[in-house]
Formats: sequence, structure tokens, C-alpha cells
Amino acid sequence: MKKKLPSILLSLSCLIVYLFLLAPIVVVLLSSLTTTEYIVFPPEGVTLRWYIELIEHPEFIDSFILSISVAFGTAIIATIIGTMSALAVVRREFKGKNAIVQLIGSPLLIPSVVFGVALLQFYSWIGLATSPLSLILGHIILTVPFVMRLVVASLVGFDRVIEQAAMNLGASSIRVFFEITLPVIKSGVIAGAIFAFITSFDDLTVALFIVSTDVVTLPVRIYTYMQYQYDPIIASVSSIMIIMTVVLMIIIERVMGVGKIFSSKN
Amino acid sequence: MELNTRVDNEIVLMQKKKNFKKRRDTWLLLIPTLAIFLFFFLLPLFFLFVTSFKTFDAGTGIGNQWTLANYIQFLSDPFYISVLWRTIKIGLITTIITIIISYPVAYQITKAKPRMKNYLTLLVLSPLLISMVIRCYGWVILLSNNGVINQTLMTTGLINEPAPLLYSEFSVIVGMVHVLFPYMVLSIMGALERIDPSIIRASKNLGASNLRTFVSIVLPLTLPGIFAGSVMVFSLSVSSFVTPSILGGPQVKVMSYITYEQVAVMMNWPYGGAIGFLLILVATITILIYSKVLSKSEKGVAIQ
Amino acid sequence: MGYLRINNLVKTFNRTEVVKDLTLEISKGELISFLGPSGCGKTTTLNMIAGFLDVDGGRIEVDGQAVHLLPANKREMGMVFQNYALFPHMTVFDNIAYGLKLRKVSKVEAKKRVLEALDMVRLAGYEKRYPKELSGGQQQRVSLARALVIKPKVLLLDEPLSNLDAKLRQEMREEIVDIQKQVGITTIFVTHDQEEALAISDRIAVMYEGRIEQVDDPITIYNQPKTDFVSQFIGEVNKIQGVVVGGENGNESRVNFYGDEQLLPFQLRTNEKLDFFVRPEKIVITQKHEGEGFQSIVMKKMFLGAKTRYFLKVEDKDLIADIPNTALNPHSIIEGSKVQTFWQAEDILPSRNVR
Repeated sequence: MKKKLPSILLSLSCLIVYLFLLAPIVVVLLSSLTTTEYIVFPPEGVTLRWYIELIEHPEFIDSFILSISVAFGTAIIATIIGTMSALAVVRREFKGKNAIVQLIGSPLLIPSVVFGVALLQFYSWIGLATSPLSLILGHIILTVPFVMRLVVASLVGFDRVIEQAAMNLGASSIRVFFEITLPVIKSGVIAGAIFAFITSFDDLTVALFIVSTDVVTLPVRIYTYMQYQYDPIIASVSSIMIIMTVVLMIIIERVMGVGKIFSSKN
Repeated sequence: MELNTRVDNEIVLMQKKKNFKKRRDTWLLLIPTLAIFLFFFLLPLFFLFVTSFKTFDAGTGIGNQWTLANYIQFLSDPFYISVLWRTIKIGLITTIITIIISYPVAYQITKAKPRMKNYLTLLVLSPLLISMVIRCYGWVILLSNNGVINQTLMTTGLINEPAPLLYSEFSVIVGMVHVLFPYMVLSIMGALERIDPSIIRASKNLGASNLRTFVSIVLPLTLPGIFAGSVMVFSLSVSSFVTPSILGGPQVKVMSYITYEQVAVMMNWPYGGAIGFLLILVATITILIYSKVLSKSEKGVAIQ
Repeated sequence: MGYLRINNLVKTFNRTEVVKDLTLEISKGELISFLGPSGCGKTTTLNMIAGFLDVDGGRIEVDGQAVHLLPANKREMGMVFQNYALFPHMTVFDNIAYGLKLRKVSKVEAKKRVLEALDMVRLAGYEKRYPKELSGGQQQRVSLARALVIKPKVLLLDEPLSNLDAKLRQEMREEIVDIQKQVGITTIFVTHDQEEALAISDRIAVMYEGRIEQVDDPITIYNQPKTDFVSQFIGEVNKIQGVVVGGENGNESRVNFYGDEQLLPFQLRTNEKLDFFVRPEKIVITQKHEGEGFQSIVMKKMFLGAKTRYFLKVEDKDLIADIPNTALNPHSIIEGSKVQTFWQAEDILPSRNVR
């Protein structure tokens, strides 16, 4: 008994933290079912009315599609160029390497509000109109540091002897990269891509400055709607996003195991 | 002898060719990233920096004269200083609370069996995957005047009218802790996992109690992890925009919010830029202090 | 007429020559070992032959064609690595088939050859496994099959057995020799283990500080080492001192070892004090106190199964003698007692100052 008390206390405090962690998410899910005209928790009654009403708000669907495409574009480009820089940084010696590593890592240190302001000013100065591309360019800056770190981590533990073995068997350096190196560092690259996708899809701060009236990403749409309306539509939109995320996670878990994505050590 | 020179020339030529190719490939790998970073990161920030030394013009936003007034105005106005202080205060409180609630969780996860460990890690990290806007929205629902917390407090008779939980420093801190807590858990977990189990066994073997072992062995060894996590949480907290703007709004102004306000509402680009660069300064100083301490102690862990 | 010819090979790292003007010819079908301590340049040489390192001077030819300027993937050499270097994301089958795929061998043909190769390394039925599901020995066999299936011109083995445990190491080395002879492939075997080199090689190239000290068949290397390094590195030796007491005729000299005079087949100057080597197993001890040889004191003995190692002392010099237990019952020798010690004159190996 004497021995068990601390571990019970530990479990209890952890349980409270987990509840705290899940609380806002569960609250959003449940309050989307309320029958009231305004958002309330606990919900009064149960209805799917606010999901059906979404049909009358095609702007949410448009924003959703925009956000998905921007996130997709960002993830693809950031993963490719981030992996390329990681390769150069880990495997090559060149002058100014440290400076380049610092530069690529620095967006993590710059508050995204400041970056958003700077980008808005720059875009209007060079006359680049708001488009998915202008959003993607901003999001690439936010996500390449993550991709590079994750890929660097998996490249550092990579034993290059297997590349020699492939070369010895007659593979050109291009084939060695695509058939040997890439498959082995796959988990780092995929983790980078997922991270880039989520970061881009979730970004409010930078997008808030860049969006125009007809190019509005979903986080910006929800944010502005929240400021003027208090109906449960937001809860139903949010719930759909939560459910999608969970489903996506389950699929990823089935395909490759979540532990692998998060632990770059393996 | 002649033959040898010819052969050596061939070798030198091949090595030169190879070196050239290597260098060319290195730059080919880096150029896409460097180009994008130059044009869409460095250049914009540089322009904003230049702008922050310009005067304000009601028509175009940016005037023609050079001035230091934007920085001087900020640093001499008690209102703006109070915003800066609030930003730092919220960052500090958030950091302390995340340390306190992250430690037991990190400890429990590292002690768990592999399968359980995976699930718990997933549980802790999963909020990161859900949009920050949505998570903050959840807190809006919970903390609002007719939210479940105020309702409970009123029905139990503890308070007579709703407590102003939302749009306060309290709600901002709650949201911040919720958003930034996983980073701290990961950082402490990293430190805990690096501890050689034999050290703990050795300590217990020497007769130390569990508590004693924890206080004199485990805690000191995880300090670098706590420190690294704190720097990360603090710098993310002072620069975050989403959480304070949804859960605090105009009532709880922080640096990022007034940057946004100056640019998007007041159209005062130079002043917005100046506030932005002061914010960068705060975040950078934190990191600098961190790396200073790190190089002194030489046993810290790098920010992940 | 060498099949693989290495001429005046040089490699420099940071201005230090790690391979110095190395020349060697290897005949077709021969198994030659590069033997030497770590840092002797054996792996560097192998990597230059494979094309993983650029040569800084010299020439490498295979079958009359210069290859030292070709990239590694065009050299047609099969290599087996110390840590196996199997592709972790491919099955055993795909690992072995990879080289064939690169050579655009048809699927049917490739399958046939992979299965043959697996059969050869006694791993039939393992084709669907992944490398991490195999033991070290099995992984090394897959690695060997992968190297051989492309029918390379030369097989390069880089300390292939050093990650295996002792018993498996012996089994594997016999297997490697069997397969090598069966295929008849020209093979370079890099190792730091002299027993391994002695057991499997047609010839051994003993390397030291970037140079080849001696290339010979194992028996010659062992019995007639040409340099001090080879004498001391191959097998064990006792360093003994003798004083030349007189030259008998042109090619022989009379040398006194600890009071015992022997006629040695070298021409030496009288009155010089010289070093020689003698292997522990060439020393004979008896409990008699007369006849050939000299007296020494048994300081310690160590039973090693088939033989016993005696630590002897004579005139303050240590001597080690390995005596088969069939020749002398270890129980009969008491530590601290005196024994008669001698060796045959032809078992004396000369040191540098003798040559």
C-alpha cells in the first residue's frame, strides 16, 4: 500500500491532464449536436441540423477545398526541396554550410505574425495577387525547416555502406538514391510531408494576411465567422475536420504505425 | 617514367571532374530552397525592417522620411510597455504550468510498456494534429459566460453571476498551455529516455528511496530537457497569435496581436513592422540566452 | 600474367600516404588475402579496387583493361561487406536479384539465377525473409550470393567474418572457400585475422604501413617470413639473442644461444650480438639435464587443451614454449623446476639485422 500510493497519485494526475487535453475537442464534437440556435455545452437535445445547414454555406466547402489543395502543394514542394537540402547538408562539405543551416532553420524563430506582415507587404510591392500559389510559397517557408530536420535525423543514422553495395552491383547514383536511400529514410520523409501538410492546413496567422475575399482558407473562414456569428455551424465544420483527422491518423497507423512517424530515432 | 606522368594526368583529370560534379550537385540540391528563402523570406523581412524606420503616411501607409520614432514611441509609451510585459508574463506563466503538468505525463509515458507507450504518446501528440483554431474554439465554448464551468459554479452556488473567464489572461494561458504542452512532454521524455536505467538501479542499490532517487538523480538529469522545452514553449508562446487573438481578443492585447492590429486595422505599416521586430528581438534573446547557458553547461539537449 | 594487376598504387589522406606504391598481380581464380593490422591500408586498397575511393596514383587493370578511372558501378566487381550491407527494405530474393535487375536480366532468368545462388549458399527457402529476420551468418551468406549472382570479374571480401562468433566464423570461412573454388572466381579477402588468412588463402599479401611486406603461399609466409614484421605478425615468436662465435664456411655461421652453439645457414660477422626469432611450438623441453640445448626455469604453465604453454626464463629472458600434451605430460613438469630447452637450427628465423 505504501509503495502504491505515489503511482496512484501519478496516474491520477496524468488522467486529469489527459482530460484537460481532450476536453476542448470533445466539447466541440458534442456541442455540434445541440438543437439550440446558439452554441452551448452540454448540448440541449441531439440533432444533425447543423451538419445539414452546411449545405447552405458553400463558402466553407470552397475554403476546405482550397485549404486541402494549398496543404497538398505545400507538402509536396516542401518535402522535395527540404529533402534535397537535408541531403546536401548531411552529406556534403561546403563553404557557408552553417549559415545555410541557420537560414533554413530560422523561420521557426520568427513569429509568424511578423512573417505574415512582411510577406503581405512584399506581395503587394511586387504585385503578386493572392492565389493558392502565393499561399503555398508562404507555407513552404513555414514547413521546410520541419521537413529538413526530420530528414536530417533519418539521414544521420543512415549507414552509407548499403549505398556502396548498390553501386558495387552496378547502380548509378540516381538509382541508388531512389531505390536504396529513399526507401530507407522513407519514414523521416513521410513524417516531414505529414507535418508540412498539417502545418499548412492549420495555418491561420500567415494566411490571415494573404487571403483575399475570394481566396480564403478554412482556418481563416472559421476565424472570421467566429467573430461575427455564434451559431453551431462552426462546431459542425470543426467536428468534420476533427473526424477527418482521426480517420486519417487511423489510416496512417494501419499503414505504417504511428510510433514510427513520431520517433525519428528508429 | 613518361608513361607514369601520362597516367597521373588522367587521374588528376578524373579527380578534378569528380570534384566539380560534386560541387555542382551540392548547389543543385540547395538552390531551390535557397531561392525560395531568399525571395519569400529574407527579402520580405528585409523590406519590413526598412519600413519600420519610415514615417507613417495616412494615404499609403508608408511615408518617405527616415525615422527612429516607431521604436522610440513603443519603448516610451507605458501602454505598449505594458503589452510587452503582458506578453512576457503570459509566456512565463505558460512555461511554468506546462513544466508542472508535463513532467508526470512524460514520466508515466517513459515508464509505460512499449504498446501503452505508443498509445499514450499518440494521445499527447494528437491535439497537435487538430487545428489550433478548433482547439481554441473548444475553450471558447467551455469558458464562455454560459459555458459549463460558469454554469457549474453558479448551480453549486459558489458564484452568483458568471465569472469573466473568457477574454482574460486566464483564458489565454489555458489555451496556450493546451497548445504548447505536447512540446514540453516530448522534450522531457527525450531527457528521461536518455537516463541510463543502471544509474537508477545503482542509486536504489545504495539504499536511496524512490523519492530520494528521483530528487537527486532523475530530476537533475532531466533539467536540460526541461530547459530546452521551456525555451521552446516560451518562444512559441510570446510569438503565438492564434490563441491570444481567439481567447483574449482586443481585451488581452499581446505583441503579436498589436502587430496585426497596427497593420490590418490601423494600416500603420511602419509601426506594425517596428513592433514585429521588437517581438523577434524578444524571441531571439530567449534563444541566445538558451544557447549561452547550453554551451556553458555542455550537457543540455538541443531543441528538437 | 596477372588477371588483376595493381601497379604503383598510391592513396593519400591529408598528405599522409596510406597506400605507398603498391604493386601486385593476382592470377585468375586465385584467392588472395590482404592481411595486416588495422590502419595498414588493406581496406583502403580494397576500396580503390572496388572504386569507392579514387586512386591518387598508379593503375588497376582487370583482364588487361584499366579500371581505376571507372566509377564503382561500372567495374563489375562483387563485394561482400563486413556488416553485410543488405538492403533492409528488400527481401532476400530482391536483395540478390537487385544486381540482375540493374543488368536488365529477364524476370524468369533472374529468378532461376537467384534461386541457384540461394541454393549455393544453402539458404533455399529463405527468399521471402527480410534481412532483419536472419542471423548474422545467414545475412553474410545472402550478401555473398548477392555479390556472386552477377558473375563479377573479381570478388572482394572486406573482413566478411569479423562480426560473427568464433564457431560460425570457422564454418563460414570453409564455406566461402568451397564456393570460391566451385565458382572459380578471382577473390581478394581482406582480414586482420592471421589464422583465417592462413586457412583459406592461395596466397597471402601481408601489409604494413601502406606497403606489402611479403606475398607468398601460407606455408612459406609462416615458415619463411621475409621481414621482422611478418615474423612477428604471423603466428607467435620468441625473440632470442645469440652471439656469433664463428663462421664455419661461406654460408654458415656458428651462433651461441644461452650457452648452446648451433650452426645457422647465414653468413654472419663473428662476435656480433644478434636477434633471432623462434616460434613457441618449435621449442622442445625435456626433464633430462643433458644433451642439446640449455637449461631454463619453468616460471608458469598454462593448460590449453591439446597443448600446454610453458613460460620459461633463461638468463633473465622470457621464452614461451607450446608443447603438445601427447609429447609431454604437463603433470610431470613442476613450476620452478629446471628443464632442458632446445630447438632445431632450421627453425630459427632471422631478424632484420641478420639479413
